[in-house]
Amino acid sequence: MKFRLLTLTTLAAAGIAGSAFAADTVKLGYQLPLTGDTAQYGQDFRKAAEIALTEFNAAGKPFKVEIVFEDSRSDAKEGTNIARKFVDDKEIVGVLGDFTSGVSMAAAQVYKEAGMPQLSQTASHPDYTKVSKYQFRNIATQAQEGPYNAKWMAAKGFKNVAVIAEQTDWGQSVVSGFSDAVKANGGTVAFSEFFNRGLKDYRSLISKLERAKPDAIYTGFFYEDGAQFLKQLQQLGIKTPVYSTSAAYSPKLIELAGGAAEGVHLTSNFLPTDPSPNVQHFVDEWKKRSDGAVPGQFPAQAYDAVRIMLAAVEKASPNPTREKVRDALAQTKDFPGVTGKTSFSADREAEKELVKVEVKGGAFVPVAD
Amino acid sequence: MNASESVVPTDGLTRRRGLLVPALILLLVFAALPALLAGFDKGYFYQIANLALIFVLLSASMHLVTGVAGLLHLGHAAFYGVGAYTAALLTSKLGLGFTVTLPLSGLMAALVAFLVALPTMRLVSIYFAVATLAIGQMLYLVMLNWVDFTKGPNGIIVSKGFELFGFSLSGRLAAYYTVAAVVTLSVVAIGRLSHSYYGNALRSIREDDQCADAMGVSTVRLKMEAFTLSAFFAGVAGSLWAHMTGYISPGDFKFSESILILAMVVVGGLGSLPGAIIGALLLILLPEGLRALGDFRNIMVGLVMFLSILLLPKGLLGEVSALRLVRRQLGAAWRNTGKGEGIGWR
Repeated sequence: MKFRLLTLTTLAAAGIAGSAFAADTVKLGYQLPLTGDTAQYGQDFRKAAEIALTEFNAAGKPFKVEIVFEDSRSDAKEGTNIARKFVDDKEIVGVLGDFTSGVSMAAAQVYKEAGMPQLSQTASHPDYTKVSKYQFRNIATQAQEGPYNAKWMAAKGFKNVAVIAEQTDWGQSVVSGFSDAVKANGGTVAFSEFFNRGLKDYRSLISKLERAKPDAIYTGFFYEDGAQFLKQLQQLGIKTPVYSTSAAYSPKLIELAGGAAEGVHLTSNFLPTDPSPNVQHFVDEWKKRSDGAVPGQFPAQAYDAVRIMLAAVEKASPNPTREKVRDALAQTKDFPGVTGKTSFSADREAEKELVKVEVKGGAFVPVAD
Repeated sequence: MNASESVVPTDGLTRRRGLLVPALILLLVFAALPALLAGFDKGYFYQIANLALIFVLLSASMHLVTGVAGLLHLGHAAFYGVGAYTAALLTSKLGLGFTVTLPLSGLMAALVAFLVALPTMRLVSIYFAVATLAIGQMLYLVMLNWVDFTKGPNGIIVSKGFELFGFSLSGRLAAYYTVAAVVTLSVVAIGRLSHSYYGNALRSIREDDQCADAMGVSTVRLKMEAFTLSAFFAGVAGSLWAHMTGYISPGDFKFSESILILAMVVVGGLGSLPGAIIGALLLILLPEGLRALGDFRNIMVGLVMFLSILLLPKGLLGEVSALRLVRRQLGAAWRNTGKGEGIGWR
């Protein structure tokens, strides 16, 4: 018990010391998994945020911005602790993150109560933005991507499709968003199933799926699971075309799956090969900090999320408050990001333009249809 | 604290000392700490205090099965989850409040535990551990995959905070007192259970279950009761968590949480209730206190756990050595050669 008292006092002392800060600095919080199972994503987000922040602070604005990064380990306990910590810090006017929907939703309960604007680069839970008027996200939802892909596949003549997705809130929205659109277009969903993240053996799923004889397979996975699935599909000699969402859009998909990724169709709103200067600038900066690797979809979303937040802070200055930053975020319209133009709808969902992409010769190539 | 000291007070001094410590702890939990919390007025400290208390309850409830009865339990978080889901579903589907969901969560977790205990409690040692691992995983997969009922990975928003017969207790201080009162009452109940003839019967299972059986102790029944009671308190903790965070999803109750609770019991000291409490405080407060270390904090926490097992094999305040328990759990594969070669795998 004594130990606990001691810890609390130490924590308190650290808190007081931390709040002495120059007046022309605005603080933002970023909660993300820097360790644990999903650390690779969190580390990428931090890298992207640092690129955006360095640019902003070097641009000679009347004030500087500081981002406080806190490690949530994708754990709801830690996520809510961090949320309370951010809310306590009166200088923090806006929060970015978290990575997973579960942690973002748990933290959102705190931000809702405290009136803190929260912008997640990836939270895809259908109810996330419904928590309160303070929740925003910079990711195309499956309510938008599903119908887009269903139309694309229907135009290719695939009437009878199978759909599989990971068993997460996001996977649920992939299947429902897509299946509803397929049925509305007059197509049929021959097979639909969920698998648990990190599954090693997809063979039984694949054989069940093939028994339904679909024209094409629509998939909701991230690159690690995607690479496994595609490799095993190739090993079983199955040639059914595969379509996927922007979540699988990462150079690591091709790296891990090798030849098995050839011919996969997916959507994206970020193309590292896009010649426009802001995309090329981001890609160059990213390569400098990552031994020449090319950024994927998620880091690009994080980069844009941070820049959208910074733009909102700028709009809310001088003397930005949480409420002013929230209002500025809500007014975001046609923000020119590396993931295309972004506007927030009235219910704080990002409206994004999607691009069709195919894997050809070991690279993502944009296609017209 | 030595168990025999508190069970049989021999003279007035010991009896008075026996009252002094609980009185000081009560003063700390219900007066000093809330005063400090209110003084700082930081939501963060309230949050950490509540979270630490909930894990004190989880750790104390596992202490009953793993510490006192000596059964390696690898699925405790699942009963915590059953309690949390009961509270969340009763609130979101039937609009019930905390006053009703709290006891029902405990009872539901106990009922589920009783049902799964029926076929498994005759198992011993490693087989028991594996059975609880399987039970934990099954319950977790039910929460994750029974989408129509539990909403699966989408989780559930718990719209109601703490209340007592309709009076809202959702203010920071009121919420702290609610959690503190529930946890204290539960811990006292667990303390009475483990420091009694009943607790000694459970200890006899830990020390030698065959011998206990031969002496007429119904080991299967006792194991079942301990398992069910422990699940009841885990369910109560689940209800606290659900109403405190306002949102739960299956990820909060996965295997790693069971291991975290087990680690609390082991680090604090197997068989000792104060040990279980201190273990929980340590493993919740340490990672938060070390936030400033960034990526190194997990290594530091791991190091503390490793060193405490290495240097204090009985934990901080334990009755039994963790190594001895594990050795017995894995008994068949581990032996003392008796030739001065020490102990090792066959």
